[in-house]
Amino acid sequence: MKGSVAVVGGGIAGIQAALDLADSGFKTYLIESRPSIGGVMSQLDKTFPTNDCAMCILSPKLVETARHPNIELLAYSDVKSISGKAGDFKVKVVKKARYVDETKCTGCGSCTEKCPSKVQDEYNAGMSKHKSIYIPFAQAIPRIATIDAAHCLYLTKGKCGVCKKVCGPKAVDYEQKDTEIELNVGSVVLATGFKPFDPSILKNYRFDHPDVITSLQFERLLSASGPTQGHVTKQSDGKVPKNIAFIQCVGSRNPHIDRKHCSSVCCMYATKESIIAKEHDPELNITIFHIDIRAYGKNFEEFYNRAQREYGIKYINSRPPEVIVGANNALSLKYEDFSTGVVTQDFDLIVLSIGLDPADSTRALAQSSGIALDDFGNIATSIESPVESSVAGIYVCGVAQGPKDIPDTVAQASAAASKAAALLSGERGTLIKERKFPDEKQLSPLPRIGVFVCHCGINIGSVVNVPGVVEYARTLPGVAHAREMLYACSSDSQAAIKDAIAKNDLNRVVVASCTPRTHEPLFQNTCREAGLNPYLFELANIREHCSWVHSKEKERATEKAKGIVQMAVAKSALFQPLYKQQVSLINKAIVLGGGVAGMTAALDIANNGYHVTIIEKEKELGGMLREMTELYDGKKPADVLKELIGKVNGNKNINVINEAKLLKVEGYLGNFKGVVLANGKELALDFGAAVVATGARNLEPSGLFNYGKDPHVVTQAQFEKMLGKGISANNITMIQCVGARNKEREYCGRTCCVDAVKNAIRIKKANSKANVFVLYRDMRTYGVMEKLYENARDLGVIFIKYEADNPPKVQGGSVLVHDHMLNQDIELASDLVVLSTPLVAGENEEINQLFKIPLDRNKFFLEAHPKLRPVDFATDGIFLCGSAQAPKLMDEAISQASAAASRACTILSRKFIETEGAVSVVNEAKCIGCGTCVTVCPYNAPSLYDVTVNVEEVTYTTNKSKINAASCKGCGSCAAACPAGAITAQHFSSKEIGEAIDAFDKGVKSISIEKGFVEMTV
Amino acid sequence: MSNVQSCYQCGKCTSICPMRRVSKTSPRSSIYNANVYGLETQDIWTCLTCGLCPQECLQQVDFLSFIREERQGKQPLSIAHLGVFTELAELSSRLNGNIAAKSGDSKIGFFPGCVDSLDLFLHDVKTNFGEITTSSVKLLDKLGMKPQVLNMKCCGHDVLWQGKKDVFDGLKAYNKKYIKESGIDTLVTSCAECYRTFSKDYDLGIKVVHTSQLWDKLGLKINQDVTYHDPCRLGRHMGEYDAPRKALTANGVTLKEMEHSKEKALCCGVSNFMNCNEQTKALRIARMNEAEATGAKTLITTCSKCLAHFNCLKSEKDAVKKYNFDVVDLSVFLAKQLEAGK
Repeated sequence: MKGSVAVVGGGIAGIQAALDLADSGFKTYLIESRPSIGGVMSQLDKTFPTNDCAMCILSPKLVETARHPNIELLAYSDVKSISGKAGDFKVKVVKKARYVDETKCTGCGSCTEKCPSKVQDEYNAGMSKHKSIYIPFAQAIPRIATIDAAHCLYLTKGKCGVCKKVCGPKAVDYEQKDTEIELNVGSVVLATGFKPFDPSILKNYRFDHPDVITSLQFERLLSASGPTQGHVTKQSDGKVPKNIAFIQCVGSRNPHIDRKHCSSVCCMYATKESIIAKEHDPELNITIFHIDIRAYGKNFEEFYNRAQREYGIKYINSRPPEVIVGANNALSLKYEDFSTGVVTQDFDLIVLSIGLDPADSTRALAQSSGIALDDFGNIATSIESPVESSVAGIYVCGVAQGPKDIPDTVAQASAAASKAAALLSGERGTLIKERKFPDEKQLSPLPRIGVFVCHCGINIGSVVNVPGVVEYARTLPGVAHAREMLYACSSDSQAAIKDAIAKNDLNRVVVASCTPRTHEPLFQNTCREAGLNPYLFELANIREHCSWVHSKEKERATEKAKGIVQMAVAKSALFQPLYKQQVSLINKAIVLGGGVAGMTAALDIANNGYHVTIIEKEKELGGMLREMTELYDGKKPADVLKELIGKVNGNKNINVINEAKLLKVEGYLGNFKGVVLANGKELALDFGAAVVATGARNLEPSGLFNYGKDPHVVTQAQFEKMLGKGISANNITMIQCVGARNKEREYCGRTCCVDAVKNAIRIKKANSKANVFVLYRDMRTYGVMEKLYENARDLGVIFIKYEADNPPKVQGGSVLVHDHMLNQDIELASDLVVLSTPLVAGENEEINQLFKIPLDRNKFFLEAHPKLRPVDFATDGIFLCGSAQAPKLMDEAISQASAAASRACTILSRKFIETEGAVSVVNEAKCIGCGTCVTVCPYNAPSLYDVTVNVEEVTYTTNKSKINAASCKGCGSCAAACPAGAITAQHFSSKEIGEAIDAFDKGVKSISIEKGFVEMTV
Repeated sequence: MSNVQSCYQCGKCTSICPMRRVSKTSPRSSIYNANVYGLETQDIWTCLTCGLCPQECLQQVDFLSFIREERQGKQPLSIAHLGVFTELAELSSRLNGNIAAKSGDSKIGFFPGCVDSLDLFLHDVKTNFGEITTSSVKLLDKLGMKPQVLNMKCCGHDVLWQGKKDVFDGLKAYNKKYIKESGIDTLVTSCAECYRTFSKDYDLGIKVVHTSQLWDKLGLKINQDVTYHDPCRLGRHMGEYDAPRKALTANGVTLKEMEHSKEKALCCGVSNFMNCNEQTKALRIARMNEAEATGAKTLITTCSKCLAHFNCLKSEKDAVKKYNFDVVDLSVFLAKQLEAGK
């Protein structure tokens, strides 16, 4: 067994899996075939349904990956083959020649600037060009240039060589060759993602026309970093379009071209892109042509409704067969309007919502390494083991397993990490190393500040007068040493900084270069190596804030750079050493809820080597699965449960308390103290992490469609049980969206369409003569579930669409429905009416109070971030999985459960909890105990304790606040909100910030308002 | 110049000082130190400038002027809310800003004060400060008064008392110009601090009115018991004790006085956004206990700061005590009754 894992694919799935594994004590190789990690998510402008900026939430993950001491990044590398067995795999990796030495390149971009040759830009979906030597996008990780060998003039014709000449650090190496390396790892995680469908094979959609573009291209047009800086324009003439059409399911739900699957994300991304386009230009008319709108995820239906209600986006349930190119290359679509007939409509821009094809690398790797694929070309898995491939020890996550959105991908990524970590749990920590630093030196009482001003090649130096800034810095109070550097971040510069610290007895360091986001840790580390506390370092960003944005105004840019340096110097003079504290932790977990999700989470934690207690309110484990009689793949839930419960009971790391309830919790990440009520007794239970897996319950649709009055009207859940015993009914009508997608309950039930289709198939298989009608609004059998829908229709199940404002009526032995297609009322003889109702939140309010974790408006638990933290809470140490978060299918709940376990294990695997250094602290004497800090803190770090205040004549008992360093993230919200000024956000104290502002203020000559803008002369 | 030299160190000031109930502060000794040795003490920042000691001082030492002079140009010990309101005033004093167009020809000008800033930054006290403005305008309308609403800068009260006279002078110069150009002859304000400042620190030469001085003519019939807290700026600084009471009783309200009222009123504990601490919190508790003892369902006040600080105590996450009465601005209280058809 090896304590290392290879993660193949550096998109969001691979990144999350790698981070989880690395955080859990495993050496992790992250292998990405493109020059930068980030995958398709890095190309997105925004993410649905919150319209968060994709890069803004992804970029910190990229940086975290690059910084992580346990992750070795192998970008621009392909995996050729995987051999061996679980615990001991050999992974052959080809490191493709970049023609740039990774150890020398500083990413300054001088080469790119001078390169004369241009290539189609893959990052901008082919809509712009980049140079032959390039960094794919601004936030690329690693930030290393790559030469496109097929277009480089030197490599193709032997001419040019400019990049080599201009490269300061001498990183360009035309002689570089592909190199093959072999990694020996214990496990492999496949996160190979997908390939966007190429619409040119569908000739009728006229992708050859410049104004017919893919949704990914449209995404780039919307992006500020895209080819048009976020202005939606036509590729043909650069003009702004008026009428835009989206055609859905291009390359999805299309058996003709062997794409039977639904791509799961296109309905929502088309909705998102439409909303953003409308926000850019409210005059746009946008029409989305679709088959079903599949807004099945958390807050998706609400998003879809808002698109119509607030943005006026038109959804037409019709699939245009072709794009018509008329005279003058004008575009139009001909489609059937189901009520008025065939309509031809002109559009200026047509967006093809392209589907998700399996990646070529997935297929190649599966073939070369003997990994089974499913009917769709995805890595084959099962409902009970959604991240386990056919080869033991090789796990899969993300779209490589089947089309899915980002949160489901992230959950699976953590799940795959959990499985790999469990397999290798005996080897945890064996292949990672800890850094050793010298002791911190004694600080002399007065500040002795060193200022290092970076040229960044020509990035800063060509605009800002760097020697001038150095001269200026020398005049500032406290500055003992100032010098310029060509590349402050290069390794020889680190040596020079350390040398300067020693020679000049520096006790504060300011580097004036680029962004702290990427470079602060590097310089902090350098300071630490020189015996300085890392919190005595400050970065002054004179690249992003000066040379880049004021490249045309060199003098003023230099003035601003001086101002920024002055502020950094003033602030740094007040810095004090700060220390991270190590707090011990309890390496045990609890899981609330003993359904499939809860049991899976507990098993994963136990298999990772940690003790876990399941607290279940019922007499037996099993949860909602006990109520089911067949899974959609034909398996019997009773068998699945028997095996699962057997594993739980047989695991010595798991303790189950039935008929129990968590009464009290206090404490924080790593150190919770709980009280459990079971058998009328209260028992104390200490734990380091908790997983909330309390599930959901079926809605009882009282009063709807005669339910409760007519014994022939049952819910889908009841029908599921009836089918287990066998039924005699011949005419069965199912009604979808009962009690869902309405005013009272806006969300989509997600699982109801799959359940209905599954049960319709069961009836038909048992009795092919039975008449089965499914009355629906949109069939939401997303992803590979589409095959069930296909199957049901093949078997003769009849699907009739109804409109929300004209729902079916149940009367005696029949159901009356207005058939939308026929525009006629139809009476369906029905001896059984089955109502598909959504899952609704269980009794989540108690737990939400216990842990102070939030609920959403539907009373499901609210995760920390809808995209990238789907199983976390904002409060550390508490995790979420299954239908307690929102309704979900069994395999999704299982993926989430393993994910929650993985996240919990990143805590349980620690030897201690390390607090942040820059945390907030309360001055008790100043605190008035108002509790504002408790209210504003997103992390539950402040708490109140009782104090008796005795001030001369008056004595009263009040609260005082204290901040738990283990929970505090140093965000400073409390310090900003404290009315009494009792809280200090260390390293960002009012005094430090104030000194910086005052230093700047001294240079302000005048301030005025002109035309609504504040004008300042410095 | 204040007349501290008149002080004969009797210590009456210290013994009656509200802050002395909750701290070791001594107005007497700060006068002494300054007058005798030219020393400054932290006590000049502890003082709430409530105006009780000069009122009671046998020697008529103008302690308020003394404090104000002592504070000039010095860095305050602590300003609550991270000094955001001070920063706003400072910034606003430095912006040139054009005099806005007149909002009508009315001879009456209404100035809402800084309620908008309060709404912006004081979320936790669960008080709608803007309502003071809308209520005042409604009541003025009921009296047939159609004022110009003055879009001036901050009156400068807080910065003046925080020792930033230069900032105050900048604001004052602008506001005086504004008032002159607006052509008004009466300035109405709903804020006790603005009222004091415009009346005593501005030499405007026009009539300055606090809204509470107008409301006795509303003719409402309100059948309710309330108690009234005298803000230091309206009460001891300006001597206006009767108008707000008349505004209540003339409209049918039964007024239940607290143990300390009018000239003897206790403080809300915070003036000019300084001194938010556990000592002054004790003062708020003491005052709220007095209000509670009256049994009234509502505590009325006429200063937005008093309002903020009493409601802050009430809104604490885990409050020291649950007070079963509302704390409401006088104009808001009356406007609600007007709307309810009383």
